[in-house]
Order: sequence, then structure tokens, then C-alpha cells
Amino acid sequence: MQTLNFLREIKYLFIRGLKQSLRPVPALIPSLFMPAFFLIIFSAAFTSLINLPGFSGKSYLVFYAPVAILQAIFFSSGDAGIDLVVDITSGYFDKLLIAPIRHVSIIIGKLIGVGLRAAVQAGIVILIILLMGGKIVTGLPGLLVILLLGGLFGMAWSGIGMTIALLTKNQRATQSSFILFFPFTFITTAQLPLSLLSGWYKTAVQLNPVTYILEAFRSLTSNGWQTHTIWVGFMVAAGVAVLTIGSTLLSFRKTVS
Amino acid sequence: MSEHSIEVNHLVKKYGGFTAVNNISFTVAKGDFFGFLGPNGAGKTTTLRILSTLLRKTSGEVKVAGYDVDREPNAVRRKIGFAMQDISLDNLASGWENLQLLGVLYGLSPADARKRAGELLGVVGLSKVADKWVTSYSGGMRRRLDLAGVLMHDPEILFLDEPTQGLDPQARRIIWDYLRKLNNEGSTVVLTTHYMEEADALCRELAFIDKGTIVRSGTPAKLKAQLGGEQIILTFGSADQAEKAIAVVTPLLEKETPAVTENRLQATVKEAGKIAPKVITKLESAKLFPASINITQPTLEDIFVKLVGHTIQEEDESNLIKGRDPFVEGRM
Ligand SMILES: Nc1ncnc2c1ncn2[C@@H]1O[C@H](COP(=O)(O)OP(=O)(O)OP(=O)(O)O)[C@@H](O)[C@H]1O
Ligand SMILES: [Mg+2]
Repeated sequence: MQTLNFLREIKYLFIRGLKQSLRPVPALIPSLFMPAFFLIIFSAAFTSLINLPGFSGKSYLVFYAPVAILQAIFFSSGDAGIDLVVDITSGYFDKLLIAPIRHVSIIIGKLIGVGLRAAVQAGIVILIILLMGGKIVTGLPGLLVILLLGGLFGMAWSGIGMTIALLTKNQRATQSSFILFFPFTFITTAQLPLSLLSGWYKTAVQLNPVTYILEAFRSLTSNGWQTHTIWVGFMVAAGVAVLTIGSTLLSFRKTVS
Repeated sequence: MSEHSIEVNHLVKKYGGFTAVNNISFTVAKGDFFGFLGPNGAGKTTTLRILSTLLRKTSGEVKVAGYDVDREPNAVRRKIGFAMQDISLDNLASGWENLQLLGVLYGLSPADARKRAGELLGVVGLSKVADKWVTSYSGGMRRRLDLAGVLMHDPEILFLDEPTQGLDPQARRIIWDYLRKLNNEGSTVVLTTHYMEEADALCRELAFIDKGTIVRSGTPAKLKAQLGGEQIILTFGSADQAEKAIAVVTPLLEKETPAVTENRLQATVKEAGKIAPKVITKLESAKLFPASINITQPTLEDIFVKLVGHTIQEEDESNLIKGRDPFVEGRM
């Protein structure tokens, strides 16, 4: 009975969180537009890069496709903190806190919504890639694995914004966590393969956990089933999730007690 | 179950070094209609937030519906509804969605939640706009939807923090009537208000709170009798007549000498209804005929001023400057 109630609460809060994150519809445009924009621009601008040795002769679109997927996930899950801070500052959060529910359902419900939305937005970008003539070399099973990893990493990334929301209760502070997007997506193998990088930059790229997620995506979209790379991607995503969601839950505990 | 819905003993709340609630104790009987009256910054909201499990107390004991707020918060939450001072709604959702989500979170089935939401939307007069997002509602409409949300699970105890703030007189009247009805049906109601008429019209028990302490409590009638006293005001045709009337009226009063300003004579008495006829008979035999006789009840406002030395509307500047800083204090 207890567990049943718990699942029920999570379900309703998940539905509400998902609706909140999809409203108003025009607000969704940037998070869909940006990854598509980068995808189109970069694959047009860098077409000749593939003649460099590390690229193994495929099109730049094929090389860049996983970056676009990653960006879709960043953009969709970055909103979670903002949704949360809106609830906190509007007092709606308090309303949920005085309902006879397990407080943690509020966060779990949100996370599931974030994961689902990240997977769906990744799916939309994949559709665009396919329409542009790209393809997913691992086929339908690979696509499902991409969406799974995307959902997991989306939840992990949303934990940063939610932690800032809970700690600062401030819209601007939460919004500014957006800038983390730049180092984390660009200091990766997004533009060039690791073999073409060198020096401190290469080290930074190797230390960036997002690199491993990206490589897992790249394996699934372009290189084929490199099981080790894919596993590492999942492990890193899970590790990041433990850290960020852990800090979300700790900040949440601090806030509600 | 205890006979009290709410028992508060030596409640203290400190924000950092600042004491917002300073050792208050009170009880609210089951089925009572209890009001907190006090100026801005008095500690009303802080007290209600502690009672509703939203804020942790610094010390003291608080029991709501028989449960300790710290030890069994969810048991308390099931019994209470709290309409907060700042309206809190899901703005990107419709009136329906707002109410139904609250209903299911409080354990109603989706069908029951929908039914109850429909009833309440009717009560607060929002049926027509129930499909629209809350962003399109006026302030008064939001306030009414917020109240409806609080009532979704038919709470045993209602906490209302300035529930009619910003409502037009008609909407206020509807809410008053509905609160009275709920109270008659057995709900215990605790409200805070700045409106003296509201406290007077609704509350059976009042507590005046100022600077974190309860300065006086009791029924409105008792408070008025203890602190106010009624006034008899006689207006004469001339100042001369008013002067003459002093000698006639004074023996009828207890201690006080009536005050005369121009042609008006004013006296504070305990029971004006008994004394007034005697005053008139005496005046008649002295051939003094007042142009008008007025008997006025003291207002709660008068009593408040007597108790705390300032009116309820006067803002306490120091409170405004101190402000609220969520960075310093954790949650608000
Ligand atoms: N989070 C907070 N941090 C610091 N001080 C606070 C905080 N919340 C309230 N206070 C202070 O505590 C005092 C009591 O505030 P409270 O909100 O309880 O007053 P109130 O009686 O509800 O006033 P009002 O009529 O204006 O709503 C005020 O001086 C206020 O500045
Ligand atoms: Mg208040």
C-alpha cells in the first residue's frame, strides 16, 4: 500500500513536471532549434575536415551527429533547474511540501520527466540527422540504446541546475548554470577526434566526463558496436548522475528541513 | 483525540539572531474559529508556517490535530489545509489541473478529484474559466482558486493567512459565508487578517499578536468589554447646554467624568443600554434636550491601539529594512 502510494505520487508529479517543462510550447523552440542549427552549420562549414587523417574518410555529418544528440540532451535537461526555481519562488513548491506525500517524490517525478524529454528531443534530432542523409549504423537497437543513454545523461545533467535552484532559490543564478554547457560540450572530441588533439587541451578533453558519453554516442551512430566504449559511456553517465542527483537530494533535504 | 485541535506551548522561532516568534502559547478548541490579528512583521505567517509543518521551530511544543508537527508531519498534513499569504499556484496549468493534482496527491481517486474540483470551482465562481491557464486569471481569481485548492481534501483544520486580501467586497462576502459554513460543519479555522471587520465578523476567539508575542486573547465581545467600553455621545443645541448636562450625567457614571467638546458630550460606560434611558430621564427633568443620542461600540481597532500603542496599519520600518534574505536563512 505504502509503495503503491509512493508510485502513484511519483506518477502524478511526473505528469505535472513533464507538462510544466513543455509549456508554453514556443519556449521549446530554442532547445530544439539550437542543436539543429549547430548541426546544419557545422556539417556545412567543416565538410573538408574529413580529409584529415583521423577522420577515416566519412562525412562530417556522420562525425558530428553524436554532438547534435548530446546538445539536444543538454538543452532539454537544462530547463529542469529553471522549472524547479519557478516553483520555489512562486510558492508552489511549498504547496507540494505540505501535501501528505514523500517529499522525495517531487524530485523523482521531475527526474523521470527530464529523462523522458531528453530521450524524445534526442530522437527528434536523430530524425533530422536521418533527413539530412545521415544514418545510425547500429540500427534500431542502437537507436534505443542512444535514447536510454540520453535519458540517463539528461537526468544526470539536470541535477546541476536543480542543485543550484535549491541552494540559491534564485532564477538568475539557476539560469546562469547554462554556461556550464560550453566547456562541457566543447572541450570534448566534438570537433576533432582525440588522435588529432594534443597538449593540455587533450588532457582536459580526457578529464571531461562528457567526452565518454559523446564517444559512446559516436560509436552507436557512426562507428558500430564498440561495446567497451558504450559501457564506459553508461558507467560515466551513471557516475555523474550519482554525483549530481546526490547533491540535488542533499540540497533538497537541507531546504525542506 | 484531545479536545483541542491545536496546542502550542512556549513556541519560539529565531531567524539567525532575530526572534520572530517569542514564546507564545495558545490552544484552539475543536470546531473553533480563531483569529490572529497583528501588524506587519508580528509573526503571524511564521506561526502558521510552523503549525503547517513548513518551517521548523526553534523550540517549544506544537501539536496539530493531536500530532506533534516534528514527529508526525504527514499525519498533520493530512488533516490540514493551508492557504498561504502569497498565492501559490501552478501558473502554466488550468484551474482544473491545479485542483485535480492536489486532489490526487491528497489521496483522492482521479474521478473523485475531478468531481470535487468541479464542486469547488462552482463555489468560488470559477467554473467558466476553469479550462484556462492560471496565467490569465486576475489576482482575485487566483486567490479564489488557491482557496479552492486548500479545500480539495476537506481538511479538518484550515489555516488561512490573510485569505481575503485583494478580494472585492462581493467575493469576500462569498468566502466569508463559505468559511462560516465549513466551520458550522465542524472544521476548525485559524486565520490571520489585517481587516478588523473580518476578525469581528468571523472569529469566535482572537489573539492580538505584536512583535512575536500574544499581547491579549479572548472572544471579541470579551476583549471589547475589558478594554473598550461603549460610548454614549450626546449632541446639544449649544455648548452652554452641553456644559450644564455634565452635572446631570456625571452621577450616573461610575468614575469617569464625561468629556465635552463644543456642544458634544461624550462618556465611556460599561453597559450603555442600561445607562442611556436613565441619562435621558434625568436630562428631561433638568429641561435639557439633546439633539441626538448615539451609542457606539468600540472597534477592534480601538482595542488594538490600546494594547500595542499603534495602529495595525503602521508599518514597522525596522522590519522592512531587515527584510528576508533566503541566502542567509535557508528557506523562507
Ligand atoms: N526567512 C526569514 N528570514 C529572516 N527573517 C524573517 C524570515 N521570515 C520572516 N522574517 C521576519 O520575521 C518577522 C515576522 O514575519 P512574519 O512574516 O511572520 O510576519 P507577519 O505577522 O505575517 O506579517 P505580515 O502581516 O506582514 O504578513 C518579520 O520581522 C520578518 O522580517
Ligand atoms: Mg504574514
